[in-house]
Amino acid sequence: MRRRAGLSWLWFSIGIVYFFLPLVATFLFSLRGKKGALSFAAYRNVFVDPQFLRTFGFSFEMALLTILAGLALIVPTAIWVQLKLPKAKPLFDVLTLLPFAIPPIILAFGLIRSYSRPPFALVSSPALLVAGYVIISFPYIYRAVDAGLRAMDLRGLSEAAQSLGAGWGGLLFRVVLPNLRTALLSATFLTLAIVVGELTLAVLLAWPAFGPYMAQKGRDYAYEPAALAIMSFALTWGSIGIIQALTRTGRDKGAGLNAGTH
Amino acid sequence: MAFIELRGVVKSFGKSLVVKGLSMSVEKGEFVSFLGGSGCGKTTTLRMIAGFETPSAGSILIDGADVSAVRPNRRNLGMVFQNYALFPNMTVRRNIAFGLKIAGKRGDVLESRVDEMLELIHMGEFASRYPHQLSGGQQQRVALARAIAIEPRALLLDEPLSALDAKIRVALREDIRDIQRKLGITTIYVTHDQEEALSISDRVAVMKDGLIEQIGAPFEIYNRPATPYVASFIGTLNVMSARAIDPSAGKLAVEGQVLLASGPFEAKPGEELRLCIRPEALSLERGAAASDGASAEPNVLEGRVTKVKLLGSIVRLVVSLGGASVSMDGFNDPSRPVPGLGEKVRMRVRSEAILVTRPEEAPAVGAAIEDGGLAE
Repeated sequence: MRRRAGLSWLWFSIGIVYFFLPLVATFLFSLRGKKGALSFAAYRNVFVDPQFLRTFGFSFEMALLTILAGLALIVPTAIWVQLKLPKAKPLFDVLTLLPFAIPPIILAFGLIRSYSRPPFALVSSPALLVAGYVIISFPYIYRAVDAGLRAMDLRGLSEAAQSLGAGWGGLLFRVVLPNLRTALLSATFLTLAIVVGELTLAVLLAWPAFGPYMAQKGRDYAYEPAALAIMSFALTWGSIGIIQALTRTGRDKGAGLNAGTH
Repeated sequence: MAFIELRGVVKSFGKSLVVKGLSMSVEKGEFVSFLGGSGCGKTTTLRMIAGFETPSAGSILIDGADVSAVRPNRRNLGMVFQNYALFPNMTVRRNIAFGLKIAGKRGDVLESRVDEMLELIHMGEFASRYPHQLSGGQQQRVALARAIAIEPRALLLDEPLSALDAKIRVALREDIRDIQRKLGITTIYVTHDQEEALSISDRVAVMKDGLIEQIGAPFEIYNRPATPYVASFIGTLNVMSARAIDPSAGKLAVEGQVLLASGPFEAKPGEELRLCIRPEALSLERGAAASDGASAEPNVLEGRVTKVKLLGSIVRLVVSLGGASVSMDGFNDPSRPVPGLGEKVRMRVRSEAILVTRPEEAPAVGAAIEDGGLAE
């Protein structure tokens, strides 16, 4: 028993080292911006560059729009497949593999060719970028939502809700979504992380996103890209933390039946 | 006029015909159970009444209106599920309030109705708990309260006790019946447990292969089973090979011993038949010495005790009649000695308890098919 616990700790420690050693090394490297001393000079340089916040803000905004559009499209689809079309599940499993099989560069050229002339001249609209991001994040959102649905006895709960008078709206917003919270958060975090650092679509569709900014910094500077990597890591995880905190607050507010009834 | 009426209801899933033209009616305030083994169509029928399945043919009427095409959320029927189906993100109070909120109830009306339901199921102190903090029995009470809080036109229960322990099952089924009587709510209950169905129902519909084999009051179903299947499914049944002697006089023989049924039966003299008798329809003839051979007196069977089983208040003797075996139940009365193994005994059979049937219609021959032994 003791030996097993020791082994578990050993593997845990190896995992921690594997994931955090590169981060620590990058962080230490980023502090060498000033010759002969450790300093935050590289971070200062990044911050004074107005492009940094502008590009990060843009990518963050696109990520939020992607999350909203992706969830609005994929959650009802996954519920419908689970409840009404279980035979179509293998098809969706294959569809979720397509974004991995088709390189983003092909996707970008496809979008440009299809939407660069009327009646769908959308190539200069951020909606096309969001649409592309929804495709890229589709596997992550679908798989997370599908796993959440399978864990909750969707059929039983939906029938219970319907027998109590709930329509599809009541079922979705009062029963399914609150019980999918963890799955939705996973989908949200993954999408946010993917979109904020995405490069190919943003470059080819010519948008001032964070991915291209980081790539350009990496080409031109030595220490600033390391500082950027650490900052983008912190910003992404900070954003995830904020989303989680906000979602939890919302759930707790909704937990009361009527004020003062508990 | 019947409150719930099923008219020639058929349900098929692909090529599989699950319900085959079922017709029945339930009166207002009545408690009717669908009883049957796996795959007999009882749950499918209930789900069609609830609206979760659409009949392939036939119609379902509630209070005179055809609801066959009405969506489940528009039928105003309370449903209790086998696996409780409580909303895990809501407390007991919010679960019970769910249907009321959907119906637009708010404020004091909502609160007082929820309190009333909590009192009805004796779970006021658990109001702020979540489903995972409750036992199975408590969860099912909440599910029951949630279903009746909306004042449904009828209550549908789909094997609500099958996931619970035996003791809780007995207590909860009494509670369900008490609540049903108190509220006077029309109830349809699905179960595979004959004891459950017989103990709480006004009427029991025994189902087999998508049809109702017999529907009637529990005493009627048990004491006057219409078919050998019902007889074997409900309670315990001896099935023996017999031979017709004088069918018009109801006379037949088992292992050379003569029996008289309560009336004539259809067969030719000498034809092989099956004889079904419940163990409690046999009684020990005390004080009468058993002969060496078969009994000459009609409706008295003689044999040798091969097994003695104590079932609490009942003692079951398994008696060999030569080629056949028969089980006999008697009260466990300490003042009366129980025959020993190998002892010869005489058993009297009541004529009205004798059920004669053709071999192809009867369950397999054997002593005492116990408690729905043909169910699976």
